[in-house]
Amino acid sequence: MNEVMETYILPDIKDLHKLDVYEANGGYKALRKALGMKPEEVTDEVKKSNLRGRGGACFPTGLKWTFMPKQTTKPKYLCVNGDESEPGTFKDRQIFELNPHLLLEGTVIACYAMGITTAYLYIRGEYGKWIRMMEKALADAYAKGYVGEKILGSEFTTNVVIHKGAGAYICGEESSLMNSIEGERGYPRVKPPFPAQNGLWGCPTTINNVETISNVPLIINNGWERYSKIGAPKHPGPILVGVSGHVNKPGVYEMPTGVPLLEIIHKYAQGIPGNKAIKAVIPGGSSTMILRGDQLEGAKMDADSMKAAGSSVGTAGMIVMDEDTDLIKVITRISKFYYHESCGQCTPCREGTGWLWKVLKRFENNDARREDIDLLMDVANNIEGNTICALGDAAAWPVQSMIRRFRDEFEKRVKVAEPRMLADASA
Amino acid sequence: MAKITIDGKEYEVDPKLSVIQAAAQQGIEIPHFCWHEKLSVAGNCRMCLVEIEKMPKLAIACATQVADGMVVKTMSEKVIKARQAVMEFLLINHPLDCPICDEAGECKLQDYSYKYSVGYSRFEEDKVHKPKRVELGPNVMLDVERCIMCSRCIRFSDEIAKQPVLTFTERGTHVVLTTFPGTVLDNKYSMNVIELCPVGALTSRDFRFKSRVWEMSATESVCTGCSRGCNMNIWVRNNEVLRLTPRLNEDVNSSWMCDSGRLNTFKFVNSQERLNNSLIRKEGTLVETGWDEAIAKVVSELRVFKKTEIAAIGSAYATNEDNFVFQKLMKEIVGTKNIDFVPHMIEGDEDDLLIRADKTPNSSGALQVGVKPADGGLDLKGIIKGIGEGSIKALYVLDDDIAAIPEIASVLPTLQLLIVHSSVKNHTTELADIVLSCSAYAEKHGTFTNFEGRVQRIRPAVATVEQDRALDGFAMSRWDKFASPNDRWGRPIKKDARPSWRILGAIAGAMGAKVKYTTAEDVFKEMTERIPAFKGLSYLKIGSRGTMIKTSETVSSSVQMA
Repeated sequence: MNEVMETYILPDIKDLHKLDVYEANGGYKALRKALGMKPEEVTDEVKKSNLRGRGGACFPTGLKWTFMPKQTTKPKYLCVNGDESEPGTFKDRQIFELNPHLLLEGTVIACYAMGITTAYLYIRGEYGKWIRMMEKALADAYAKGYVGEKILGSEFTTNVVIHKGAGAYICGEESSLMNSIEGERGYPRVKPPFPAQNGLWGCPTTINNVETISNVPLIINNGWERYSKIGAPKHPGPILVGVSGHVNKPGVYEMPTGVPLLEIIHKYAQGIPGNKAIKAVIPGGSSTMILRGDQLEGAKMDADSMKAAGSSVGTAGMIVMDEDTDLIKVITRISKFYYHESCGQCTPCREGTGWLWKVLKRFENNDARREDIDLLMDVANNIEGNTICALGDAAAWPVQSMIRRFRDEFEKRVKVAEPRMLADASA
Repeated sequence: MAKITIDGKEYEVDPKLSVIQAAAQQGIEIPHFCWHEKLSVAGNCRMCLVEIEKMPKLAIACATQVADGMVVKTMSEKVIKARQAVMEFLLINHPLDCPICDEAGECKLQDYSYKYSVGYSRFEEDKVHKPKRVELGPNVMLDVERCIMCSRCIRFSDEIAKQPVLTFTERGTHVVLTTFPGTVLDNKYSMNVIELCPVGALTSRDFRFKSRVWEMSATESVCTGCSRGCNMNIWVRNNEVLRLTPRLNEDVNSSWMCDSGRLNTFKFVNSQERLNNSLIRKEGTLVETGWDEAIAKVVSELRVFKKTEIAAIGSAYATNEDNFVFQKLMKEIVGTKNIDFVPHMIEGDEDDLLIRADKTPNSSGALQVGVKPADGGLDLKGIIKGIGEGSIKALYVLDDDIAAIPEIASVLPTLQLLIVHSSVKNHTTELADIVLSCSAYAEKHGTFTNFEGRVQRIRPAVATVEQDRALDGFAMSRWDKFASPNDRWGRPIKKDARPSWRILGAIAGAMGAKVKYTTAEDVFKEMTERIPAFKGLSYLKIGSRGTMIKTSETVSSSVQMA
């Protein structure tokens, strides 16, 4: 299977992370080509390619680029989001390690398209090793003139700055990411204003995911038409799928969008250990809605198909769980994550994430009542949609979907019915 | 103008406004915690979520700009449910310690709990625990558990006080409000965060634990700490002033007040140093006396001296009414031309927000009502010189501790007669021959004129012997209303003090003049007839926000003395 698949983002080439190897394999050709085009032609190419963001929201990348003002006296910025911190997601790390120059090439092309002279590459602080790899690649690219002053002899100048995160999941949210770069507390900003108008330091800013940006050289090299024919028509291109959990061969696999989930599990990840049945799959990182094993049939890894299946592509970080999995333990752990990572700004998320976790902890300890299931659902519903950023939603969705799709698991953990004590007079 | 619909009614509003502002202008309160008119928008409490047609989710009214044709629902089922949810969330980790919380009775969270909450809790887990007694600075105490992380105090410190020392640390429910390492919340406006705080997290180290708020009456008055004249409320329990809090006046002090004004201008009213009665010096010592004797003594003593041997010092701390009657008595009845007042400037102790270098509330008023030398009369310097040389033998001082100034104190012993109005024992009363016990600003009606020429009213909040809280129309607390004679608070301590204008009127009457002032308003009425700048004014017109008059003279040009 893997042998016949054409790979673009993570091709199987030894030492591709080295600049000379990258160059020998057609590296920085796209940059040269782009510099020969008008910036708006580059944007147009990306727009026509139908590339959609790989950071979770699947927003059309080219359209996002057109939001940047053309006439402005302020500097413009690009933030490349490499804060990947969602449980189940570890795909950008592979790009940092295996193909860093593809990312840098895409970054410079994006800067050229939008008239940006500074790009920030924001990498989560826990990726110390990968930050050092990117720093090496960046230094090499500077030395060869792919980044910096008058790139490849053109009039175009842009600088790339690597910024280390300090360990907060919330800083992967684009507006917190900008606050973090500014040295402020990682708090999401109220929108509007949107980053394209008022972003980093109040200037027009575009934020793209690492994998998204890494798709840009492919589009320029191959042309939008060819690119848009890869994978699912409405959500085309190669996609990195990280598979973890109960599979024989966990890892990051590059494939065209639209591959059936069952094929990913059984062919790419080579099935479930002991040939056990699949109880559940979280398809796109821990915030996406959990699917029952029997919902997988026909579900494919692209935006429309996943929506139809009752979940979303997210960051394509699949967590596969076999029939013996304690899903209450799973959802309790996921909830603990969002409780731990809620920035604390908005009331519903700050208070609700902890409440969810505390109630789930009682389910885990077989110390919950039947009505606590509805309480959980209600608390999740009260968080969803009522916060500044999507972390509240990300905390609510797994709980909602788990109750909706695995209510029996909760019911099994309910303590034998006893009258509800409204007030303990003895205390 | 933008046409918007709020709860089915159409309004024309300024398109630059947010939904919450537009609604507020129409008298519709959209509940909120973190939003404050004078601070930047944070959008974090989520209490102001409203439904806006064509928007997929509920929107926060504080951060949503109005648009023509916008249809806003503030009372729909969805909105009410979201509000109940936010209230429930806010309360799950909030200590339910209202019975011992200083904020109770004026707490936004408590009020909204009655108004927008469901009335019971579904939360049975352990609450998060955090530090309970954090000294943020010299004047402000923090209970982190009560904090709802609205960030108002942080924004105030950053944006208004310009001392960015407050911040949040930690994340989620563990968020802690604190000061940056090595800093304290210590600025001239630090106590404003106490009123900004919608809960009992930030409390006044001066006031906390002193009283439940409903046991106090609140009286609209004006701060006497400097010539800004910040509008404020005087809070009184059992006839004792317990705190001052700012009162909104866009033209004077916005919503703010300085810490010095709050802390340093009311304690003398309650203090042990207050005079209980008027005093007369007999055989070298001051002894208490009644009003009739004191007034008769003033009249008989003044008659001993020639008009040119008498001088009068008015007061920038006294009301316009007091100063007006004072100068009238001195110039027209006693007949001296030597009259002035002592300015109290602290050069450099001023800023762009509120604080003025002139530390008196009424120097422009004193000048305006005539506390200045008559033609050929001596000004302050001349008076001091005259006293030193022996040409001025009698001095009448209105409510100002002039002996606290060394160069004045040095000449005062040479006087043959020193008459002083004062509320408290001080350096000047120590030297006086007759001390007339005058009401403090918190005990009387009157007006001050601030540095810009704004005339503002003060009202009595503390009752004196001659007043009755109920009969004289004072603000009343629950205690005041429901006390019975066997309650401690039914028998408050009252001082036998009178407003200076009344004392001066009595002296004028005893000297044969026809003076008929029954109230401060009577005095004010005469001022409007005799002083062009006050023409057409009345207490009613001044109202609770004051009114501008034209000022032709400024204080600084008149006299210079610290």
